[in-house]
Amino acid sequence: MPVPFETLIPYGIIIAMFGVSGAGMSKIRNWQNGGKRQRRGIDQWDRVLMDRDRRLTGDLRGQANNPVAPAGYELNNPWRLEKRIS
Amino acid sequence: MASRKPVFNQQVLYDTTPLPDSIPKVKELGTTSAPLMSAAYFIGARCKDYNDDFMQCKTQNPGKGEFECLKEGRRVTRCARSVINDINTHCLDQFRAHWECLDNNNHQLWQCRQKEWSLNKCVFEKLGLEKTVPGQPKDEVPVQFRRNQTFAHAGIPITQFPYLTPNQRAEQVENLRLRNPKKADRIDQWDEERRQKKAAEAAVEAKA
Repeated sequence: MPVPFETLIPYGIIIAMFGVSGAGMSKIRNWQNGGKRQRRGIDQWDRVLMDRDRRLTGDLRGQANNPVAPAGYELNNPWRLEKRIS
Repeated sequence: MASRKPVFNQQVLYDTTPLPDSIPKVKELGTTSAPLMSAAYFIGARCKDYNDDFMQCKTQNPGKGEFECLKEGRRVTRCARSVINDINTHCLDQFRAHWECLDNNNHQLWQCRQKEWSLNKCVFEKLGLEKTVPGQPKDEVPVQFRRNQTFAHAGIPITQFPYLTPNQRAEQVENLRLRNPKKADRIDQWDEERRQKKAAEAAVEAKA
């Protein structure tokens, strides 16, 4: 006797749930990264470079290929200060 | 790169004092990480001497490199800026395609080989800069010319071949000869046939 279609409905629901959440997460990550795939396995070098990108373009994933930096670039690298302990 | 010292920063300070006038003013490079990665080997091809100077100065002045090596640093910036300018004027489309592909692929060069080959072709023809990856073993195809990148997102179609400058072609044929010493004359014959075929095609194109 063939398998009734009602028995496959739960599997369909499970697959749909996984699919929707996976697709939704992928879309959210895409939107967060400006339409590109997320960067993974970032080390300190990549973090420093991405911070430099942010200083150059305003966005952590923004890219530009100008030979010369925009006007405020030389002055927008801040000193990070701690409060004195003693 | 060493990881940074742990710092609890509660506030930031922007120091807007400009450099003294005795230091010549050189505008910094405005290229972000992906185009810089894409153009890196070409910057290395043109600016090797200045870069080596700067690195030597930094090594010889441990701790004071930022102050003692300003002149070398200015030279490095100017040279890199010239390379970026040239690539922008001559090869902008291929350059942009390559670094957009890199940015989408976690800045991994091996995911974007096709676009890299067309960029290499354009840059060599217009600017004469070659990309060389040092430390490639002679008994294998170098990584930048492999048509089969195992873990890449997209495979390379059968019709796409890497671009090799004349020097690189000669080097690869030499490596083939080293790998297969018994087939040396067959390799020479194949190389000669390829060259003649290319010349015939070029003659046909020139006539037409």
